[in-house]
Amino acid sequence: MWFQQVVEWFRSLSPDVATKGIRIAVYVFGGFLVVRLLVSVVQRFIMKKATLQRRMVARKIIVYSGFVIVLMTVLAELGVKLTGLLGAAGIVGIAVGFASQTSVSNIISGLFLISEKPFAVGDAIRIGTTTGIIQSIDLLSIKLRTFDNLFVRIPNERILTSEVTNITRFPIRRMDIMLQVSYREDLDRVREVLADVARGNRYCLDEPAPVILCTEFKESGVELLFGLWFSKADFMNLKNSIMQDIRKRFRTEGIETPYPTRTLRFADENQSPRLTGAAAKPKRARGRPRQKPARRSAR
Amino acid sequence: MVKVKRREDTDLSVWNEWDLGPKQTAVWTFPERRIYVERVAQEWHVLSVVGEKNVGEASRTLIERSRKPGSSGWRHYLSRESGPVRPQPVLPDRSIVAKPDRSLMLLAGESAQFFLEIPVWFRMNVGGVRQVQVFEEPLAVMSNTWFGDPVNGELCYSLATRLHQGMSSIVPSAWRAVCPMAVTNDSATDLAFERICLHVQNLAVFRGTERLWTNGLSVLFRGAEQASHIQVSPGPPEFEPDLAPAAPARLPAESWDIRKTFSRIMEFADF
Repeated sequence: MWFQQVVEWFRSLSPDVATKGIRIAVYVFGGFLVVRLLVSVVQRFIMKKATLQRRMVARKIIVYSGFVIVLMTVLAELGVKLTGLLGAAGIVGIAVGFASQTSVSNIISGLFLISEKPFAVGDAIRIGTTTGIIQSIDLLSIKLRTFDNLFVRIPNERILTSEVTNITRFPIRRMDIMLQVSYREDLDRVREVLADVARGNRYCLDEPAPVILCTEFKESGVELLFGLWFSKADFMNLKNSIMQDIRKRFRTEGIETPYPTRTLRFADENQSPRLTGAAAKPKRARGRPRQKPARRSAR
Repeated sequence: MVKVKRREDTDLSVWNEWDLGPKQTAVWTFPERRIYVERVAQEWHVLSVVGEKNVGEASRTLIERSRKPGSSGWRHYLSRESGPVRPQPVLPDRSIVAKPDRSLMLLAGESAQFFLEIPVWFRMNVGGVRQVQVFEEPLAVMSNTWFGDPVNGELCYSLATRLHQGMSSIVPSAWRAVCPMAVTNDSATDLAFERICLHVQNLAVFRGTERLWTNGLSVLFRGAEQASHIQVSPGPPEFEPDLAPAAPARLPAESWDIRKTFSRIMEFADF
């Protein structure tokens, strides 16, 4: 029924309007199909070996350009004069520009980020307190998926003006573990044990060699930096296994990890030790009479 | 337990094809790995466990299925091919950084022939005319290492090995392939061997009477500032006659030229 109504309405139109309508419909649907086909061909054949980010950018350029071309063609078909439109667009653009400075700044920042390539889709980055994997790099913002599966949108302007750490840029990384051992321990032996722990862990790379540095003399013991190199894909495996390996091995070897300790020294060693602090009785000031406890009246 | 054959010295028959009967489990024993294989209905069941290091070289046996170890580590592969089991010794799937057990300097103008031993992987194929690869497993555990700088490089296996200069010092082995390497120092500086990166994916394995071999390599070192030239022999090495092909290379060698070598590290890349 509705189809017949459409046909009747179509017949009621003048031939010019009907022809124009058909042409516009052909431009819109044809344009949509051509853009889709072009995106498919470019992604599958031309950009087959390109990174995910570049394919995404190429797809957006084709889609947006196709949309603008189809729109201009439809407007021209409708008899809208594009020169006037562009003139008006210029004036409107100035007004819009003032009103949308932040958005424009984000777009420009996005273009800088795309050209500078500090990171790519799929990289893990840290910005401020947010760490996640980049899902997309768009003109206004980037989208992250955090490791606990939250979606985070970060404006490009903020990225351009902040310190961004690309965790997965390089193929290998070093995991730095700070350890403390007692002052009584032989540091050479501790170093050998740690080197052996590194050799025995399958996720730790032999080269570059692990770093074992004595960094500081702390209150209770000596602080060591134990730096292990690993392939970036093995982060969790190494993190889980190496802590256990170190603990087990320290126990086996009898290497003491110190607790905070305090050494008390008395001023006069000939006299008997006096209690200090809260354990001592409060001193009575001279000349002040001792107060007797109050009596309780019986009732 | 039915024993097919067992010897304490090298027995390359571990690499022969084998027809498994029903209700039988085949066991390949190597110093660092033991592999159990059986055919159940349309599946191949495989178990790979850490070997006992005090066993002899290598052997294979048949055991009754009831005596196979119970373990959650059994892997099941569905395949219509029930044909004979064809084990193949293949080289590792990644490059190897071989660290000689001693520091060696090749003086300017000198040449030397070295032999390296590379642990092979156990690849199991099944079938007759149409062979299907079921699985593969390293026969020795090698740790990971990185060759190159922290920004560019490749993930390799690390192998501490002897740089033999003669065959007499190499104990024949059924699970290590000997890689002959001829090095010529055609530069004015001495060449220090500390680490050698070998792209073993481009090497095939050949079988002799008592040992396995890889293709031979010849390396021409022209100094730290120039690219060294490396050539892989197209066929088996000439140190033993009548070598038969045991396994093809994983990747064909595409190029004979390599990048600039480092002064203390000799690198075989892009071959």
